[in-house]
Amino acid sequence: MRAASRLLAIAAVAAALTACDKAPAAPDAVLDGWKKAGLQVSAFTAAQGAGLGGGTCQSGTINVVDVTLCHYADEKAAKAAEEAGLATVGDATGVSIAQGKMLLVVADRRKADPSGKTIDQVTKVFRGRQK
Amino acid sequence: MKRWHLLLFIAIGCIAFAPRAASAGGRAKQVKYIGVHPIPRVAGGGICHIEAPHVHIYGPDVKLNYRDHRGYNHFVGDPVAYGWDGPRYSYYGHHPVDVDVVVGDEDDGEDDVEYCYLNGPHFHYYAPAPVLTADFEVQGDVYWYVGKPSPVYVDARPELVKVNAVYTPLVYARPVVEVTTPPPGWIGATIEVSAPAVVVGAPPPVVVERPHVHGAVGVGVSAGVEVHVPTPSLSVQIGGPAVVVGARPAVVHEREVIVVDRKHGKHKHRGWGRGKGRW
Repeated sequence: MRAASRLLAIAAVAAALTACDKAPAAPDAVLDGWKKAGLQVSAFTAAQGAGLGGGTCQSGTINVVDVTLCHYADEKAAKAAEEAGLATVGDATGVSIAQGKMLLVVADRRKADPSGKTIDQVTKVFRGRQK
Repeated sequence: MKRWHLLLFIAIGCIAFAPRAASAGGRAKQVKYIGVHPIPRVAGGGICHIEAPHVHIYGPDVKLNYRDHRGYNHFVGDPVAYGWDGPRYSYYGHHPVDVDVVVGDEDDGEDDVEYCYLNGPHFHYYAPAPVLTADFEVQGDVYWYVGKPSPVYVDARPELVKVNAVYTPLVYARPVVEVTTPPPGWIGATIEVSAPAVVVGAPPPVVVERPHVHGAVGVGVSAGVEVHVPTPSLSVQIGGPAVVVGARPAVVHEREVIVVDRKHGKHKHRGWGRGKGRW
C-alpha cells in the first residue's frame, strides 16, 4: 500500500515535470527559444492587451510575420483570450494559441509566408514541439 | 432619370445577391484548420505547413480530403500529391488515423480516430500512432492495415471512398510497393468493400507504356498503377491493383500486365489483383 502511494507520488511529480517542460515559462524564455531556433526576432514592444482579455502583451515580428505574445494571471484567462486573438488576425492566415498562462497570436498580414513554414516554426517553439 | 433608377436597381441587386465571402462584420470568414493541408489553387496552391490550429479565409477545396476534428478541418489525404516535401510514410489501402496523435491534442477525451479511404499506395506525413501500430504490418517499407475497422469505417465508406476519383488524375510519385502478396489480414482482403459481386476470371490486362529512360526508372502512373523498372532486370508492380473484396477471404488472382517497349516489343508480366475495386 505504502509502495503504491510512493509510486503514485513519483508518477505525479513526473507528470508535473513533463507539463512544466512543455508550457512556456515566461515571455522572455519564449523569445529566446525563437532566437535559438534561428528565427529573426525583432524587438518586441508593449502592446495593448485590453482587446486580448486583459493580458500583458508585447508584439513584434518574426521573420516576416506579426507576433503578439501575452501573459495572463492564469491558464483559464489565456485560453479564454484565444477567440479575441483570432479576431485580431482578421483576414490574414494566422494562429491564436494558448499554452499555460500565455497566448500566442501570429498573423501573416503581408502574405509573406504563403507556405506557413515560419508560422509553423514559431508555433512549434512556443508549444515546445520543435524537433 | 429612369436610366438612373435602373442603374440604382442593378447596383442594389448586385450587392444583395453577391456571393457571401464576408461575415456580418465585413471581415472575410475565417475557416479553421489543424495540421498540414493543401492550399486551394484559387488561394495560391501548394501546401500549408502549419500543424497547429490555425485559420485561413478559404475553405477546403475537396471536402472528401478532410475530417472534422473538434471544429477544425483536418486533412487526411496524401499531401505529396499536392507538393509536400517533408517527412513521408508509405501506406497501402485504407487505414485508421488517430487524429489526436497526429495533431498533438493532449486532452483526456476519447481519441478521434478517422479513416483514410485512399486506395493503393499513398503517403502521409505521419507513421501510425503507437496505439494503432499493432494493427499495422510493415511489408516492403509500407504500412498495411490488418486490424478490424469500426462500423463507422464501413458506414462512411460508400461516400468517402469517392475521394479516389480526386487522386486518379493527379500525377505524382506514389510509393513504389514491391510485394507479391499483401500481408495476411490486410483490410483489403478481409472486409467487404463493394456490393456483392461474382468475380469470374482475371480482369483485362493493364497496358503500360515504358518510357525511354536510361538507368533505374520509377514511374507513377496516374490511374493508380505503379510501374517500377529497375535495371538490368525488369519487374512490374501494380500499385493500385484491382482487388475485389468480398465477405470471404479474398483470393488474389494474378493479373496480366503488358509493358510496351517501343524498341523491343511487348513484355508480359504478372501482378496480383482481384476483380474490381482498388485498394
